[in-house]
Amino acid sequence: MKRLAGTALVAAALLALPLATQSDFVLTILVFAFLQGMLAVSFNLVFGYAGQLSMFHAAAFGIAAYATHLFGKHLGVGYWGGVVLAAALVAAISVVVGAICFRFRLREFYFAVVTLAFSEMARLTVLNWNSMTNGSLGINLQERPIDGTLAWYYVALGALAITLVVCWRLVHSWMGRAFVAIRLNDELGDTLGINVFRYKLVAFTAGSIMAAFAGSLYAYFLGSLEPGLLSIDTSLGIIAMVLLGGRRAVAAPVLGALVLTALPHLIHFSAEIRSLVYGAILIFSILVMPQGIYGAAAQLIRRHA
Amino acid sequence: MTQLIAGQLLNGAIVGTLYGIVALGVTLTFGITGIVNFALGVFMMLGAYAAWYFADTVGLPYPLAVLAAVGVTAAAGLAADQALFRFTRNNLVNGLLVSLGLIAVLEACALLVFTATPKEMHRVLPGIVMLGGLVLPKMKLVVFALLLTVIFATYAALTRTWTGRAAYAYAQNPEAAALMGVATARLQSGVVVYSCGLAGLGGALYAALYSLEPTLGSLFILKAVEAAILAGIGSVTGALLGGVILGVTEGVGSIYLPLAFRDAYGLVFLVLILLFKPAGLFAGRR
Repeated sequence: MKRLAGTALVAAALLALPLATQSDFVLTILVFAFLQGMLAVSFNLVFGYAGQLSMFHAAAFGIAAYATHLFGKHLGVGYWGGVVLAAALVAAISVVVGAICFRFRLREFYFAVVTLAFSEMARLTVLNWNSMTNGSLGINLQERPIDGTLAWYYVALGALAITLVVCWRLVHSWMGRAFVAIRLNDELGDTLGINVFRYKLVAFTAGSIMAAFAGSLYAYFLGSLEPGLLSIDTSLGIIAMVLLGGRRAVAAPVLGALVLTALPHLIHFSAEIRSLVYGAILIFSILVMPQGIYGAAAQLIRRHA
Repeated sequence: MTQLIAGQLLNGAIVGTLYGIVALGVTLTFGITGIVNFALGVFMMLGAYAAWYFADTVGLPYPLAVLAAVGVTAAAGLAADQALFRFTRNNLVNGLLVSLGLIAVLEACALLVFTATPKEMHRVLPGIVMLGGLVLPKMKLVVFALLLTVIFATYAALTRTWTGRAAYAYAQNPEAAALMGVATARLQSGVVVYSCGLAGLGGALYAALYSLEPTLGSLFILKAVEAAILAGIGSVTGALLGGVILGVTEGVGSIYLPLAFRDAYGLVFLVLILLFKPAGLFAGRR
C-alpha cells in the first residue's frame, strides 16, 4: 500500500512538473534521461534479473533508430509505422541471435563476447552500407514526428512508464521467478523443470524490443543518426546507468540514468571527460557500491528506521 | 597474383605476432586470475605512446625507449592490479566490467593528453629487404623476430623454471599449488604485471610501424581475445598460433572480400569457434 502511494506520488509529481518549470533546458534533460532510463530498465531485465550480460542492447537500440528512418522513407509507412516495423525487425534479429547463443549454452563471459561480436558486426554494417546509412557521416533527420519539448516530455514519460509496468509485471510473475532462478543457477533451474532456453530467450528478446522503442524515440528527439549509437560506448553507458542505479529493483536503473544524463549538462563536460566519468563510475559501482544508489539508500533507511 | 597472396601471407603473419603478444597476455591472465583483461589493449596503447614519447620527445635511442615503455606499462599494470583487479579475481563478469571501465578512463586520458590527431614516430630502421620478389620493410622483420623470441622465451620460462611450473600448477589446482608453497597472491599480481608488460612491448613495437591513435587499443584487444579463444584459451603457443591465423585470414581475406568488412571476418570466425569448438581449434589433440 505504502509502495503504491509512493509510486502514485512520483507519477503525479512528474506529470505536474511542466506546470512548475517551462524551462526547455530542464525538460530536454529529462526527456533524454527518460529515454536512457527505458534503455537501462530494459537492460536490467536481461542483466539484473535473468543474469545475462548482453552486449547486444546498444545494437538493438541503434538498429531500431536506423530502421525507423529507413522503413519510413523507403516503404512510406510514416514515423509510427517505422517504429513498429523497426521493433519487429529487432525482435526477429534478437530471436535469431539469442537462439544461437542459448542453444549452444553460452554463459556469462562467453555470452557477452558473442553478443559483443554480433553487435560489432551490426555496427560495421551500418558504418559501411553507405547507400542506405550514409556511413560514418550519419543522417540528419528532417522529419519532426512530435512537436515541441513539452510534447516530447509526455511521450518520453509515457514510454518510460509503459516500460516500467511491462518489466514490473514480467518480474513479478511466474516468468520473473524463472529469470531469477536462471541467474542464480541455471543448471539447477533446468533440473527443476524450468525451460532455461525459452526463458533466457524471452528475457533477451523482450529487453531488445524495449531498447528498440527507446532507440526509435531517442534518434528523433536528437534529430540525427550516427553509427556511434551502436558502439561499445553506448553499451558501456547502459551498464554504468544500471550499476549506478541498482540492479535489484525494476525502477532503480532510472536513478542511474537521471544522474548520468543530467551530470554532463549541469557541469559542462567534453566528450572525453564524459567517457572518463562513465568509466570511473563503472569501476566505482562494481568495487565500492555493488548495490547501486537504490541499494545504498535502502540500506540507510533500514538502519535508521 | 601469387606474389600478392604471398605478400599478404607474410604481412598477415607479422601482424599476427602483434595480435599474438597481446593474446599471450590475455591467456596468461585468464589462466592465473580467472578474468579476461580487456584493458590489455589500453596498456598496449599506453606502451605505444610511451615509446613515441621517449623516442621523439625525450630523444632516447629507440631500443631504450622500448625498454622504458615496457617499464611504464608494467608499473601501470601493477597499479591497476593493486587498486582494481585484486578485487575481481575469478569473477569473469565483474572483471570484464572493471576492465571496460578502465578502458574508458585511460582512453579518455589519452585523448585529452595526446589528442585524436594520429602521431607518427620517426622512421627507426628505414630500408627494405627483397625476399624472392617480395618487398619487406626491415623494421617489420625485426619486430617479427623480436616478438617470436619473446613468446618462445615465455614458453621456455613457463616450462623450465620453478616459477613457470608453479604458474602451471596454480592454473590446474590453486589449492594444491598453495599447499606446495606457491605464493599465490604474488604469483597472480606478477602474471598481471607481466601481461601488461607484454602488451606494452607490443605497443612500443607497433609505434615503429604504424601511426598512433588513442583508440588503437580497443581494436587490438578484440583481435587478441579472438586470437586467444581461437586456439584455446590458456595455451601459450595457441595464443601465437591464433594471432597468426587471424592475421593471415584478414590479410588473405581482404584480397577476395570487401576491405571495409575486414574487422568483421575475425568476429565471424570467433563466433563459429565459440559455438562449435568452445575449447579452441586444437582441443582434444594434446
